[in-house]
Amino acid sequence: MNAPFYRFAAFGDEASLVVAFVIGIGFGFFLERGGFGSARKLTSQFYLDDLAVFKVMFTAIVTAMLGVFYLSWLGIMDLSLVDLVTTNLWPQIVGGLVLGFGFVIGGYCPGTSLVAAVTGRIDGMVFILGVLAGIFVFGEAFPLLKGFYESGDFGRLTLPQAFHLPYGLVVFLVVVMAVGGFVGAEWVERRFAPPAAER
Amino acid sequence: MARPHWTPNRALAAAALLLGVVAIAGNPYRGSTVSIDTQELATIVGSTVDHVTVQELADWIIQGRTDYRLIDLRSEPEYAAYHIPTAESVPVALLPQYGLGRNEKIVLYSEGGIHSAQAWFLLRAQKYPGAYILFGGLETWKDEVLYPVVPATATPQETAAFERTAQVARFFDGGPRAAAAAADSGSLIALPAMPAAPGISIVPPGAPAAGGPARPGAKKKRKEGC
Repeated sequence: MNAPFYRFAAFGDEASLVVAFVIGIGFGFFLERGGFGSARKLTSQFYLDDLAVFKVMFTAIVTAMLGVFYLSWLGIMDLSLVDLVTTNLWPQIVGGLVLGFGFVIGGYCPGTSLVAAVTGRIDGMVFILGVLAGIFVFGEAFPLLKGFYESGDFGRLTLPQAFHLPYGLVVFLVVVMAVGGFVGAEWVERRFAPPAAER
Repeated sequence: MARPHWTPNRALAAAALLLGVVAIAGNPYRGSTVSIDTQELATIVGSTVDHVTVQELADWIIQGRTDYRLIDLRSEPEYAAYHIPTAESVPVALLPQYGLGRNEKIVLYSEGGIHSAQAWFLLRAQKYPGAYILFGGLETWKDEVLYPVVPATATPQETAAFERTAQVARFFDGGPRAAAAAADSGSLIALPAMPAAPGISIVPPGAPAAGGPARPGAKKKRKEGC
């Protein structure tokens, strides 16, 4: 059987919700086990003494990228059927900044705030209320924001298309970037680690 | 001289690098380029899994689903005169250059079924697995969704079941018609006038409540997050 399973109708709309539930539980479980339900752990990356978030994110990107690439190369998966979000450059830059500021100020990103909330952390619950309020305000203000929301539309753009590079070369460059990032991150952690007495 | 110490992290990083180096020679899209499998196509045709019925399509439109693209293969004047809500006009000759994604569910319709069947083969030959034919085309849409025939001798259960069909018909500005009227009107049925903005249907006051708010033509929005 070929992937993506949903596109090849291995399961329907209702079963896809069950699959999403199972994957979501797994995702939340590993976030929590990684310590990402704690705002202290998450924000320590901004003090440069614990870059676990950065390393986990890059590991996830590289693992998923290599998996998708090799499954497609072997013909087990059809990459042209995988959904892509359109690139809307300007609103995505602004959205990234809003998320980054929110992360630094609130101590969570949306997924980790849910993990924090269900493990009983009050700051996580308050963060979720803030997220919901923001969604509500955005939804109500959408007619005003619509023009900007749809600006800078590059369609479904991938890195190989954007840089006119062979697909495999981009995969290699991202891996090199990630490994370089890990080495750099560990160096930064040693450099900025607080003295043992403070920990 | 100390030998490099293989912690799990270093081993994984080395494995990733190795896979990255091998990847330079590869192309993920190679696996999906296969020659046309006529037996596979014949099997699909025989099993009719490539069909979407008019009732299914009507439900999708009422639910406001945005996970499909409805393609009207008729000429542009015919499209302007009437088209199914949410449809895009793409005459058959322009289909190969039209920007359809392989990852999209594409529902094709024409007046009857010939053009949509031909277009289906065009798309399948170009490896669009999500191509479907609206079974019976616009004629069946007219006969079964817009102007369904009231069964002449119906049991109470059948009448109750028909009420939903009638509600759907009214949603699309049509309505049920009696069996006798259907017999002599033949194909001379006036189609509902199109609203001013093409592709956006006006929700009639008697729209079925069960379908929820209808948003045909709503822009696709995807969710993502970390």
